[in-house]
Amino acid sequence: MCAEELDFITKYDLLGCIQCGRCTGGCPVAMRTPLRVRCFMYDTQNQERLEELSERPEIWDCTTCYTCAARCPKGLEPLEVLIGLRSIQIEEGRVQPTVRDALESIFRDGNPWGSPRAKRLDWVKDLEVKVLEPEAEEVTDVLLFICCTDAYDPRVMKVAQSLVKVLQAWGVDFGLIGEDESCCGSEVRRLGEEGLFEMCDEENVELLNSFNVNRIVAISPHCYNTLKKEYHGLKHPVLHYTELVAQLLEDGKLQLKGELPKVVTYHDPCFLGKQNDIYDEPRYIITRIPGVEFREFDRCRERSLCCEGGGGKMWVESESKEERLAEIRVTDAKELGAEVIAVACPFCLLPLEDATKVKGIEEEMRVADILELLAEAL
Amino acid sequence: MNMVVCVKRVPDTAEAEVHIDASGKDIEKSRLSFKINECDNYAVEEAIQIKERLGGTVTVISLGPKENDEVIRMALAKGGDEAIRLEDEAFAGGDGFAVAKALAAAIKGMEFDIVFTGALADDDGYAVVPAALGELLGVPHATYVKKVEILEDGKRARVGRELEGGLLEFLEIDLPCVLGIQTGINEPRYASFKGIKQAAKKEIAVKSAADLGVDASEVGEAGSWAVLEKFTPPVVGEMAEILEGDPEETAAKLAAILKEKGLV
Amino acid sequence: MKDIFVLIEHRRGEMRDVSIEMLCGAAGLGGTVVAVLLGKDVDAFAEKAAGYADKVLYVNDPMFENYNSEAYQKALSALIKEHNPGLVLIGNTAQGIDLAPALAVELGAPLVTDVTALEMEGDKPKPTRQFYGGKLDAHMVMKDADLYILTVREATFQAGEPSKSGEIVKVENPVKEEITYRKFVEYVEPEVGEVDITQSTMLVGVGRGIREDKNLPIVEELAKVLGADLAASRAVVDAGWLPADRQVGISGKTVKPKLYLAVGISGAFQHVTGMKGSEVIVAINKDPDAPIFGIADYGIVDDLFKVVPKLTEKIKELKGL
Ligand SMILES: Cc1cc2nc3c(=O)[nH]c(=O)nc-3n(C[C@H](O)[C@H](O)[C@H](O)COP(=O)(O)OP(=O)(O)OC[C@H]3O[C@@H](n4cnc5c(N)ncnc54)[C@H](O)[C@@H]3O)c2cc1C
Ligand SMILES: Cc1cc2nc3c(=O)[nH]c(=O)nc-3n(C[C@H](O)[C@H](O)[C@H](O)COP(=O)(O)OP(=O)(O)OC[C@H]3O[C@@H](n4cnc5c(N)ncnc54)[C@H](O)[C@@H]3O)c2cc1C
Ligand code: SF4
Ligand code: SF4
Repeated sequence: MCAEELDFITKYDLLGCIQCGRCTGGCPVAMRTPLRVRCFMYDTQNQERLEELSERPEIWDCTTCYTCAARCPKGLEPLEVLIGLRSIQIEEGRVQPTVRDALESIFRDGNPWGSPRAKRLDWVKDLEVKVLEPEAEEVTDVLLFICCTDAYDPRVMKVAQSLVKVLQAWGVDFGLIGEDESCCGSEVRRLGEEGLFEMCDEENVELLNSFNVNRIVAISPHCYNTLKKEYHGLKHPVLHYTELVAQLLEDGKLQLKGELPKVVTYHDPCFLGKQNDIYDEPRYIITRIPGVEFREFDRCRERSLCCEGGGGKMWVESESKEERLAEIRVTDAKELGAEVIAVACPFCLLPLEDATKVKGIEEEMRVADILELLAEAL
Repeated sequence: MNMVVCVKRVPDTAEAEVHIDASGKDIEKSRLSFKINECDNYAVEEAIQIKERLGGTVTVISLGPKENDEVIRMALAKGGDEAIRLEDEAFAGGDGFAVAKALAAAIKGMEFDIVFTGALADDDGYAVVPAALGELLGVPHATYVKKVEILEDGKRARVGRELEGGLLEFLEIDLPCVLGIQTGINEPRYASFKGIKQAAKKEIAVKSAADLGVDASEVGEAGSWAVLEKFTPPVVGEMAEILEGDPEETAAKLAAILKEKGLV
Repeated sequence: MKDIFVLIEHRRGEMRDVSIEMLCGAAGLGGTVVAVLLGKDVDAFAEKAAGYADKVLYVNDPMFENYNSEAYQKALSALIKEHNPGLVLIGNTAQGIDLAPALAVELGAPLVTDVTALEMEGDKPKPTRQFYGGKLDAHMVMKDADLYILTVREATFQAGEPSKSGEIVKVENPVKEEITYRKFVEYVEPEVGEVDITQSTMLVGVGRGIREDKNLPIVEELAKVLGADLAASRAVVDAGWLPADRQVGISGKTVKPKLYLAVGISGAFQHVTGMKGSEVIVAINKDPDAPIFGIADYGIVDDLFKVVPKLTEKIKELKGL
């Protein structure tokens, strides 16, 4: 490794840090793990300690929720230092087998789940959906970018299926990439695998640019964030599905017929809220569903509590035995009197739903993506 | 220690549906992804760990088409020094014996202490190469190796072979030798994308049958012990076969199935 | 038809089932079945084999007290050259596969390994074996030769009742020189306590369906009679009923045992990703719609508290415990 790569001071503007501690103060995982991100802002200034610091297990506790960066008065991004330390481990090949397997699977099959490409469209089942041709003459309005988790996890597939049903009900002209669709690389970058992320960036940009579409709609906030903010040279505008659906509802072309007479709360995904300021659209959609009584979490919007689904946490189990944040979250929802926790992200859906089972309240508390609620209300 | 590792590139069929192609002798591979044969990945790691402990070199050999360069580069990225790829039309359709002959021809002129192979291939699973290669090279071999310890004189190794039920059989074997490595002997490291790209700068020597001085009739289908006549799909269902009856009956049925499958 | 040699495999005072299975299978192929037994003071095995073979060649020598492929290869090749059989059957076991390829190279005899079905065309075997982890049956054509060698997978042939009384011929050890370049040292039992589930050949996976840790003994008992280790879903690990190193799944271990018996596990994708490569998957779950049945080979839809004890009982019976 060359010295330049190791120079954290310049790369992360470490000297700008005033050690105020707002980052650690806001860090949700500091509640349950030894991670103190402020200390890393200081300690990594010493080049000689980088190796040792990169071996600390807690650098893998960060969910890359971005709270620390959002709160830093100096505009720094402390989480990036942790990602930088992860990179050191990655380049030395010393990562947990689960992380290794996920990354190798992305390299080979374009998804982290060790599943073949040939199964990428299995989620479509008997829905009739157009698969886009590259360089087609005719313009398609919307390209749907389906997250690997939506494509392969049978539970989350239902969310993608709901999206298709919703768009079809509205008569939206849309298409899918098909089996050539590959992981966006959001988790790849956050696991510290810079080189592989560059590959995802280059290959996906080339692929996406080859389609004649007006815009790209991503189902997962993680893909959305990466396509929109981290890719280089993408020529199509990128939306999250909540933006598109809110717009469709506003246009008033379709009335929702179904009823959902339930108390619903909404969990802000970090990658949609804190990182992209999309707070209103999801709420707008939920409150348009007839019968819904909407209640806010106390910790909502920019203060929303991370569910620990992102930042590579799918593959790295924390050593902490403290209650998971998702469990705290569902307990909060119960106290609120909510019967449904609506989410807008596959990585939130899974941990929260899991937490209802841990708490034994899966019968009384439903966790569902907004799209599922919407599809049922069509 | 000078070491050679034989790596094979195989289609990943663990989860994919396997379709027989029109010839009846091969499968449709266009939609499959390929990867390093699983135990070969452990063999690479074992060689590199020994090199890190004791010094020496690791040469990676793979028989197969240009696409095999990908698995070779991964092994180089992890710490391999040199690489050879054996490619020739004459190699096509060979079984474990034919492959072992080609590998032996490539290794014969080299100075080596240990040749590592995987214990068996994920695709055809012949498990022939390690023992056959040892015989062809005229050196002792051991397969299903789960533990390797180089003894102090550097001329022998203490080797643990994994037998049925996890029992380890330890033996002492003289070097040079061939060791067929079993999965789980170590924890293979990750080869980062940057590392693989850098490894692309290392040269991979490509050798044909003629370069190795082997006659075309000795390798490939012609030089094999057996050739494939045809594939047929075994009879298995998509969903689970649900065993019917009360607990007494279902338990008895399941026990009988486990027995029939040699699991009890 | 020429003689068929069947190599008797034994270890630490136990003869392996595959040996009897092969003797029974060989009896159906025509030709004289000759059991070849290399060992030290294993007369009892010679007698047992005689019940299934037309003849037993028994080499009693300290050299064969423990298995050593080099010694076996030398002895076998000498016996084969002397008796000139047409077919040699060896178990496709850790011993067999360490031996057969080298023997075949030495004798110039075609070998097919891991045979799962066998027919004969005159003197020539037409073996079937599996490719791609059992996803395809491969029908093989062997090169013409005077001698063929096959390694046979366990349970390919059925072991029947003894029906022969073959002559036991004691043969002098044809291997004269001591083999120094490969020496048996010792057997080491897998460490108990420190179970590494990625290395287990049999696993019983326990899920939240077990309800409480005080119910664990019923699956522990099953695992014990099966010779399996316990694995768990994250739900069970989170509850603290089993340690974290038993967790299977995306954030746990990836396992590929020969048998994965999922008890009270729903089959969440995060769990399934870690065990879908298992050879045989069996699920016991009271919910017929549990996703685990989508990847299982066999399923029982019932209350685990009723089925598991019965299953333990049945397996005990089968094993004669
Ligand atoms: C019908 C058929 C078609 C085939 N077509 C092709 C083909 O188109 N192209 C082709 O290259 N081969 C082809 N082969 C060869 C085949 O894929 C195997 O390489 C060969 O049978 C070796 O046996 P094995 O891999 O089962 O050896 P095993 O003994 O099971 O493998 C054990 C170890 O040997 C080593 N090894 C095995 N193969 C290689 C290799 N190729 N390079 C380096 N090390 C190796 C590895 O370390 C491996 O872990 C074909 C075989 C058959 C039967
Ligand atoms: C980021 C993340 C990572 C995860 N990683 C993993 C992981 O690595 N490994 C993992 O396992 N999980 C993981 N999970 C959790 C996973 O999503 C599931 O929640 C978990 O696997 C469920 O465990 P289970 O099947 O034991 O429990 P449940 O899903 O609650 O299933 C219990 C099953 O038992 C059955 N049952 C109940 N009583 C009986 C009875 N008397 N008889 C028979 N059957 C009965 C029920 O029908 C049900 O199907 C992860 C989740 C997240 C969000
Ligand atoms: S909030 Fe910003 S300035 Fe304050 S300690 Fe953290 S990184 Fe430094
Ligand atoms: S990104 Fe979130 S989890 Fe990571 S250090 Fe910052 S606040 Fe903590």
